[in-house]
Amino acid sequence: MVELIKVSKTYAPDVIALQNISVSIESGEMFFLIGMSGAGKTTLLKLLCSMEIPSKGLIEIAGLPINQLKGYKLAKLRQKIGVAYQDFKLLTDRTTAENIAISMEVSYKKPQLIRKRVIDLLDQLALSDKHDTITGELSRGEQQRVTLARAIANSPTMILVDEPTGNLDATTTERVMKLLTKCNKGGATIVIATHDDSIYRHTTHRVMELRQGEKYSLSGGLSL
Amino acid sequence: MSFWLTVLRQVGRNLKMTWGSQLMTLLTVSLSVLIFAFFYLIYSNMLNLGDKLGDDLSLIVYLDEEPGPELKQQLEKKIRTFDEVESIRFVSRSEAYDRFALQLGKNQDVLNDIPKDFLPPSIEVVPLKNLRSLNQVKLFSSYLASFPGTLKVQYGQDWVERFYYFTKLLSIIVLLSGTLLILTTIFMVAYTIRLTILGRQAELELLKLVGATNNYIRTPFLLEGLLQGILGSTFGITALYILFQWIKLRFSGPGFLNLFEFTFFSPSISFTIIGVSILLCTLGSYTTMQKFLRI
Ligand SMILES: Nc1ncnc2c1ncn2[C@@H]1O[C@H](COP(=O)(O)OP(=O)(O)OP(=O)(O)O)[C@@H](O)[C@H]1O
Ligand SMILES: [Mg+2]
Repeated sequence: MVELIKVSKTYAPDVIALQNISVSIESGEMFFLIGMSGAGKTTLLKLLCSMEIPSKGLIEIAGLPINQLKGYKLAKLRQKIGVAYQDFKLLTDRTTAENIAISMEVSYKKPQLIRKRVIDLLDQLALSDKHDTITGELSRGEQQRVTLARAIANSPTMILVDEPTGNLDATTTERVMKLLTKCNKGGATIVIATHDDSIYRHTTHRVMELRQGEKYSLSGGLSL
Repeated sequence: MSFWLTVLRQVGRNLKMTWGSQLMTLLTVSLSVLIFAFFYLIYSNMLNLGDKLGDDLSLIVYLDEEPGPELKQQLEKKIRTFDEVESIRFVSRSEAYDRFALQLGKNQDVLNDIPKDFLPPSIEVVPLKNLRSLNQVKLFSSYLASFPGTLKVQYGQDWVERFYYFTKLLSIIVLLSGTLLILTTIFMVAYTIRLTILGRQAELELLKLVGATNNYIRTPFLLEGLLQGILGSTFGITALYILFQWIKLRFSGPGFLNLFEFTFFSPSISFTIIGVSILLCTLGSYTTMQKFLRI
């Protein structure tokens, strides 16, 4: 379970990216985060994986205040959170397989296990033929999927995805959503930031809309 | 198990990426170990030599008069108050004459016309067999010279002094090359590891984001330093050993080097030098990480 209590984020010198956000996300929930460009979606995800620290407020994951974690405990937490970044953060001089393997290597998974998982994921994302391609040579849509594969490879308990379908056609978008739904069925909490309304229009999950850093609305889901 | 596999893979990757500067570092480390060990080897052999030459060292105090038993005791007491000595021996005029005659051997007849008491009586003082007394010989001799009734104090003045300054100079060179060793190893290793770190900024950033622990990120770099230390110092010592054997072979036969036994380091000293170099290299990589890999 993730709790945000009166969270604000101000970037230096005075860009207010998020203001007074309070929300709790249940474990195992799929949660959509929507809003116009610049609304603060990415910022919120960065706070959740403690890539940034909040200027004000408290963020707790499973009861732990994450902005106070350091060193080993922070590393362990991050191993449990898979993030597909909006800017991908791929190592563009390494192959697809190597990029995906990284998130499993840091928790010392066995090499055979890693190899199998990589092949399996690439298959589900229709990237099987890109196994040994340098990621710098992939198209943006392909890179996006590699990023997603890396995020979910280590079977994290929470998956944060930032614009997972921005560069994808309808069929591939469906593939990606199918994979994410599968992860969610497997028990993972999933937070998706997007402005692609095709993926949340008919959803039964909760959708939170941000406007200029503030919580504008929270709708859907069985809890409401 | 999986930890070490991953770490070793990482080390391999690092070495492959920066093998040029890695090689340079290895060379520098080997060379500075070689230089240091070279001078240290000469120095330690000189100390050995000093011990050996010290064995033959004695001070001879020539007296103007044959001392009586009481004076002998007084003199002996005075000598022992300055420093502990190996032995003190009084040589009377007649003993000195006999000894001289013995040395002349067949040519003894030149002594025929000379009175038997022409040689002065003397005290032979043999100082303790260590370099400390060798260095103190000068002080000791002026102390003995201040005794009443002393004509002259004799010892191998020339070589003792030269030897003393030579070993002193050597010890300075050893210190300097030791400092050089410490500086080069720490800085070169730190420098190459810094290169690796800077070349992999993006990857290290990502590793932190996906939850790599400090150990995961740092161990490969520490291992890299360790490897540099092991290989560099082993190469250095081995090179010196080969050089040593070559010189021995080359200059064997009658000559200067045969006057005294030149010996290589004992295994324990070799391993100490290797161990210290490894420690220094690891220290070098550790300090860089403290600076550039704060997590
Ligand atoms: N590192 C930063 N330094 C300063 N300002 C920042 C930084 N990151 C984001 N911002 C600002 O914070 C605000 C929110 O940015 P954020 O990236 O969270 O938006 P977003 O909702 O993800 O937008 P998009 O849909 O375009 O990705 C923006 O005004 C942005 O300019
Ligand atoms: Mg964004």
